Amino acid sequence: MIQLGSPTRGAFSRERDVRDAYAAHSGELYGFAMRSLGDSGLAEEAVQETFLRAWRAGERFDPRIGSLRTWLFAILRNVVIDLGRARAVRPRVAPEGGVEPSVEPLDDALIAWQVEEAMRRIGEDHRRVLIETHYRGRPYAEVAEELGVPEGTVKSRVYYGLRALRVVLEEMGYED
Amino acid sequence: MKTERGFDGCREWRGSLGAYALGDLPTEERAALEAHLDGCERCREEVRALTGVARLLPYADPAHFGPAPKPSPELGQRIAATIGAERQVRVRRRRRFGFALGGAVAAAAAVLAIVVLPVGGGGPPQQHVDFAGLPSGVQIDATLEPHAYGTEIHMYVSGMRSGTLCRVFLRGPGGERVPAGTFRYRWGNDSEAVLSSALDLSRTAAIGVRAGNRTFTAPVGRGAAAAT
Repeated sequence: MIQLGSPTRGAFSRERDVRDAYAAHSGELYGFAMRSLGDSGLAEEAVQETFLRAWRAGERFDPRIGSLRTWLFAILRNVVIDLGRARAVRPRVAPEGGVEPSVEPLDDALIAWQVEEAMRRIGEDHRRVLIETHYRGRPYAEVAEELGVPEGTVKSRVYYGLRALRVVLEEMGYED
Repeated sequence: MKTERGFDGCREWRGSLGAYALGDLPTEERAALEAHLDGCERCREEVRALTGVARLLPYADPAHFGPAPKPSPELGQRIAATIGAERQVRVRRRRRFGFALGGAVAAAAAVLAIVVLPVGGGGPPQQHVDFAGLPSGVQIDATLEPHAYGTEIHMYVSGMRSGTLCRVFLRGPGGERVPAGTFRYRWGNDSEAVLSSALDLSRTAAIGVRAGNRTFTAPVGRGAAAAT
């Protein structure tokens, strides 16, 4: 998912850098902080601390190594750990195989937030069928009847929904 | 991901690949599709890509699929204020350290001067200037450093309206005005600008800044000593 590199050199020390970064990334950072901490006050504290730490360490940021977004997320991840809430974070549903047991709960939360963010970005029709069939476990035929479309259309929407999710996740840095 | 073009021969199977990746296909359909997959590398690759996504779905909670939460509008300003305050402390610490170091260097130079050059001496390597008589809430101060090319100026400003254009200048011994550049005050809390002027610090009598339509000046060097 998001690559958590350790930057070595660069520049993120001007107030303008912070302002630009805030405009570009504060929404996502806050979204993940909210997802991890479940409290708007704590989430804002985490975002504030993230930008403060980034500014203090600005000379170490090297855009040739990783993107600013990746760097900020790496800092935020540490901030959330420092806030002592990492242990409270668990995936809502146990993943069905294929997940390394070494994955930390906080990384699970990062994956969860990314998938949820991707779900928000895909089309309503695709999101709807994925919710109904996958998350609510309803038969495709039943969903098709409710939506007034052939069952094949539901299947097709599931397919294109997954494809759209993958495209969005790749834009967010997902690699498998 | 494969383009649509790559699946022209697999159209009848394509719609089922998502349900297959999610494990939702009935047994008969699954068996038929798997028979196709055995001989179709493109569809196998597509299934692999879709399965990678399907594997992530259980992490997500549909309760969080709604509109993304947003931080309060003031958060950006709070962060700016916090960083501005910390920068202010940092700048002042650096100045104190600079003066202490400068004093030590000057003392060492004085000793050397006694040994090597019986006649001679020099002032501190940099000078700090506080502007007085400013409007309430406004603070301006500057550190001036001598260089071969002239004078480097670190100007610290706070309390002005964000966006205010500041024109900085030095005044020579005869009162002549030498430009030192411009900057725009931002954030509303804190701004440090680094500027330079061709006028030597040793010949600088005053520093001034025209902020918006007002001009503020402060004496430098002998002028400052005379003013106190």
